[in-house]
Amino acid sequence: MSAHTRTARGWPWYARWHTVLRFEAFLSAAIGLAVGLGWAAGGGYFWPGWVWLALAIPLGLQAAVRWGLRAPKGQRFLAVHTSVSFALGVMLLFIWLLGGARYFWPVWPIASLAIVLGVHRWFVRNRPNAREQALADRVGVLTRTRRGALDVQAAELQRIERDLHDGAQARLVSVAMSLGLAESLLETKPDLVAGLLTEARSTAVAALDDLRTVMQGIQPPVLADRGLEGAIRALALDIAVQVTVTGGLPGRAPLPVESAAYFTAAECLANVMKHSNATSAWVDLRYEAGLLSVVVGDNGVGGARADGGTGLRGVARRLESFDGAMTVSSPAGGPTTVTMEVPCELSSPKT
Amino acid sequence: MRVVIAEDLALLRDGLSRLLRAHDFDVVAEVADPVALAAVLATQPVDVAIVDVRMPPTFTNEGLVAAIEARARRPGMPVMVLSQYVEQLYARELMLSGSEGIGYLLKDRVADVQTFVDAVRRVAGGGTVLDPKVVAALLSRPERREPLGRLTPREREVLGLMAEGRSNAAIAGKLFVTDKAIDKHIANIFMKLDLPMDHDDNRRVLAVLRFLQDSAPTAP
Repeated sequence: MSAHTRTARGWPWYARWHTVLRFEAFLSAAIGLAVGLGWAAGGGYFWPGWVWLALAIPLGLQAAVRWGLRAPKGQRFLAVHTSVSFALGVMLLFIWLLGGARYFWPVWPIASLAIVLGVHRWFVRNRPNAREQALADRVGVLTRTRRGALDVQAAELQRIERDLHDGAQARLVSVAMSLGLAESLLETKPDLVAGLLTEARSTAVAALDDLRTVMQGIQPPVLADRGLEGAIRALALDIAVQVTVTGGLPGRAPLPVESAAYFTAAECLANVMKHSNATSAWVDLRYEAGLLSVVVGDNGVGGARADGGTGLRGVARRLESFDGAMTVSSPAGGPTTVTMEVPCELSSPKT
Repeated sequence: MRVVIAEDLALLRDGLSRLLRAHDFDVVAEVADPVALAAVLATQPVDVAIVDVRMPPTFTNEGLVAAIEARARRPGMPVMVLSQYVEQLYARELMLSGSEGIGYLLKDRVADVQTFVDAVRRVAGGGTVLDPKVVAALLSRPERREPLGRLTPREREVLGLMAEGRSNAAIAGKLFVTDKAIDKHIANIFMKLDLPMDHDDNRRVLAVLRFLQDSAPTAP
């Protein structure tokens, strides 16, 4: 990176400084030359050395700072520190030389400068900066939530497979068997056929019931039809305690968020039914400043814990994959409030 | 009886059509989407429309919307809505378009052919038929509000069966009591719900409507 890069607002400040520095160097050289000529005319002790040193100190320091500033952003402070320390060390050596080069006293200040510089370097190398720290934390969260999401997904698939296998599939096998038997008995024992057909029909209807239950667990149809708000209103109607739904959403959340929010609300309402002894519950839906919030409350006995049963913990894990969070307030004696928040964007409502 | 069937899955459309024709219905049209349904309803006299909830273009609840729109254009137009799943929310929305001539059933119910055919006839005649699943959900809720809170458990049960679209005789058969006992229960229900003296079928519909409204959520 060149110090002379022209920016939109003109030359950078250290480039203007460069011009000043050149003028300064020129003036110093002129003074130094004049002093040198003056000594040459008079002779004696070589005093211009001190004048030259005095002229060189500001120039040297400024040059060191400028050299340090050429380092890439983020390393400049250390680079300036290094170059200034080096310049100071060189100056100390010159002072020692001009002073007669006897006892090598500059070893002490130079050693001090080196120690400070060493500590600085070590510190910069070993302590990641804030941005890196934030990224590392983020990677940690993503690793954990991705594993959680995959675990949840795998468990879901396993559950669905088992439900289908033990439910609808088994029933359809039974339907096929009844129909096959009916077919074979049609000629020989027609009086048995009617019973077999009735049995086949009722088993087929039971299979449909099973399939509906499985589908409800995968993606409730009403969620696809009506979005989160409509689905929660429909859910509220199916629950045996009075559930009041308030608030609303100005659009539709992304499908996976909708689904996670729906199932978390469903889990909370199921908990209300199972554990709270509540006579009424409420759900409040909001979308504010990029945050979808679903709050489920009841007037029950309280004592719900986020880390208690698997239910609420599953809810929290499900939300985590969307950077969502759940907080539970449930003092003994109630009331219980579970707040779920998920950052997301809403699509404009269907017209 | 002239019927139009709106169902996008050919397999089910053909099955329904075959079943209805076998029971002397005149299937005047079989359509696969709500637009075609509206066209048929606008041009042909139809006694009852049988409509699937999920249809193109979005495959969500077009059928429900189409049914409500058809009833907005022709108040009281009998519609039997069929679905692979039932929601109380949808039952309520259908009832808001007027409670006469409304049916809302799971497709599974078609398997019980006689009951299904009777339900279609009842709807065509202005009756109300709700799926037993919807009714069961309504019955499972504790009574909270007047005037339904005044009904005895038995009367609530009878009211639920009325909502399923069953006749007095069918209700008596289901509950193992005499027709006379059912008549008495129903008279009590009408009285307790303050239903005006009127044509009996109409009162049945009004009673069912009260039943649905009992668990209606309070307006936010």
